Amino acid sequence: MDALNHVMYYVGASALLLVGFYMVLVKTNLIKIMLGISFLDTGTHVLLVAIGYVRGRTAPILSESLRRSVEVGVAKVVDPVPQALVLTAIVIGVGVLALGLSIVVQVYRHYGTLDSRAVRGLKW
Amino acid sequence: MRRAAALVLLAVLATGLACALSAIPFGRDKIDVANHYIREGVEETGAANLVTSVVVNYRGLDTLGEVTVLFVGALGVGVMVYGRPAHGGGNREKASLIVTTGSRVLFPLILLFGIYVFLHGHLTPGGGFQGGAVIASAFLLLYLARPGRTLSRAKLGTAEAAGGLVFVLVGVLGLFATGYFLQDFLPKGRPGVLLSGGVIPLIYVAIGVKVGSELARIIGDLIETE
Amino acid sequence: MVAAPLLIAAPLAAAFAVPLLRLVAGRVVRFVPPLALLANLVLGCTLIPQALREPIVVSIGGWRPPFCINLVAGPVGVLLAVLIALVGFLVSVYAVAYIRKEPSDRYHMLFLLLLTGATGTVLTGDIFNLFVFFEILCIASYVLTAYDRDRAGTEAGFKYLVQGTVGSTLILIAIALVYGLFGTLNMADIAGRISTVDSPALFVAAALFVAGFGVEAAIFPLNAWLPDAHSSAPSSISAILSGIAIKAGVYAIARTTYTLFNAPGLFGLLAVVGVLTLVVGEVSAYRQREDVKRMLAYSSIGHIGLIVFAFGLATSAGLFGAFFQVVSHALAKALLFLAVGYMIVKAGSKRLSSLAGLGRDMPVMGVAFAVAVFSLIGLPPFAGFMSKLSIVYAAVATERGVMIALVAIVLAATVV
Repeated sequence: MDALNHVMYYVGASALLLVGFYMVLVKTNLIKIMLGISFLDTGTHVLLVAIGYVRGRTAPILSESLRRSVEVGVAKVVDPVPQALVLTAIVIGVGVLALGLSIVVQVYRHYGTLDSRAVRGLKW
Repeated sequence: MRRAAALVLLAVLATGLACALSAIPFGRDKIDVANHYIREGVEETGAANLVTSVVVNYRGLDTLGEVTVLFVGALGVGVMVYGRPAHGGGNREKASLIVTTGSRVLFPLILLFGIYVFLHGHLTPGGGFQGGAVIASAFLLLYLARPGRTLSRAKLGTAEAAGGLVFVLVGVLGLFATGYFLQDFLPKGRPGVLLSGGVIPLIYVAIGVKVGSELARIIGDLIETE
Repeated sequence: MVAAPLLIAAPLAAAFAVPLLRLVAGRVVRFVPPLALLANLVLGCTLIPQALREPIVVSIGGWRPPFCINLVAGPVGVLLAVLIALVGFLVSVYAVAYIRKEPSDRYHMLFLLLLTGATGTVLTGDIFNLFVFFEILCIASYVLTAYDRDRAGTEAGFKYLVQGTVGSTLILIAIALVYGLFGTLNMADIAGRISTVDSPALFVAAALFVAGFGVEAAIFPLNAWLPDAHSSAPSSISAILSGIAIKAGVYAIARTTYTLFNAPGLFGLLAVVGVLTLVVGEVSAYRQREDVKRMLAYSSIGHIGLIVFAFGLATSAGLFGAFFQVVSHALAKALLFLAVGYMIVKAGSKRLSSLAGLGRDMPVMGVAFAVAVFSLIGLPPFAGFMSKLSIVYAAVATERGVMIALVAIVLAATVV
């Protein structure tokens, strides 16, 4: 069981990533492709946060008691850097998703369909 | 055919990830940089929330970039919906009584909560982006309650640009005051008190206003045009 | 100390100031990008003498690196920043009259933000910061590709967005792996620690970086978006995309492979990928008859292949040739797209056949077009010839049989 605990987060993040890639590569509905991008984003964020975890420690918000323990020299919080990275990555993901969906709406206005096989105006 | 090729690619990616992740044991302690932030963070920046001190102070340029990315996204949505006629509003289902009454009560409360989140970003979990998202969800509730309404997007646009400009100006002021771009130039105060952390609360208020109005504008653009 | 961050902050502040300016005086907005970029150009030029002596390292926020983000304005960084400012300035002057479709003030803001992203990419010394500025560049270019909101532009913009986002995800995964292995995000710091870890994890991270940045740089299997995007965007944007955006991707590949990893196998891979890209690009360009902008787009792919091949040579002569080619191609291709843009407006269509004979009506355009084309083909005494010569010389100087064979293919292909 402890072994499962070790890999659980990595496996989960990788699974999300693989599902996301599959949806982007194989699905033909434009909205499903955007959903696949959303899966990719989530998987990356989980991966980042999982990499920052340190066993047995808590969130990096230093309340009074934690501050005293830090001064003594025993740090009991996890790595704050990946959490900051994920904050940035989430916002970037939101921006891309909003933009992508508005482009999908515009594509629908031109082509009348959401099937990527039909959206083939530009050839060789 | 395409499915088979995709599955092969995924298998390659999966083995690569497994290989790489096996070299990073889960829960291992990090060296150097992270420990420095943990040990010196409160003293050097004055903020009790270490993630905030990393986001705003140590890696402030990343936050500036992130704010810019959101700005580009909002601009992009504005470009894509430009020129499309606003919908009449009559062809949407009216919201139920619970939603319309509830929204009138909840809207100011949600706004208040959002402001609380970004104002206390350096003391409790939260910050500018989180608070801004909560504020935008208040506006979304308004849209859901009254499907035909329109929001003054010009005013939101001005609020958004002002927020961004304040952030850049704080950075430039830091440049002129201390010789380093984005350096903290206000006194740090005692950690745990609302008025502490130097420029952090200032930047987070600017970000909160900016992100809130920006996300509200994106929602408005997507809902109001056909 | 003051100048380097201003290179990034100036276009950014100009972009944020535009909506407020619009409230005051709407017509003036068109002139903000040229002014901001001219300031950047001057600023960059003043930094050159100092950067050539030793890299200017600026810490953002006043902390010591690696506990902060730092900008490293070395000779390569400042050179590319000046190139970006120059090409951006010229294209923005062109755009003052060319962009007539509304909402034009958003176009100018996005244009400034694209160049902010590009400048930030080449000047930063931190890998996650590189990713953030790279994202600013990419997202702004997705929007600007679809700016005309016509059928072709929208489809091209969507495909570009999907493929670009997949690439960005790969970059972020690679950053996660690098952080997990080394615990730091500063590029100089990572380079120092790279020898402490010896595992296939490094190879995976390097491959992810090359693949992720390679989508934007349009190397061989990942370039499906480029012909659509560069041919369907408004011509001033095609100039910026071909001239600046793909160069930023190539710079990022070079930065990660040289500074971070420095592994011989990786360079060989780059050389092979470069030649493949070159051949595919030039052959496809040859086959285009319908759309002149599409032909120019394929030619861009070919030249990127040449640049990546030069990076793969792993010698300082090769690096010199690669950056020389970056500069000459950026200038020539931007000029070509701008000239072609006006010709298309005059002739009313993109077909090669209908553009024939325009040289007589628009002599200045004709001369400009000819100069740019000669430079790209590599005719002396234009810059393109010098840059190709330096690449060939560098390849021959490595004295490796494989390289010589590849060079022969390279020469044959670029004549096409």
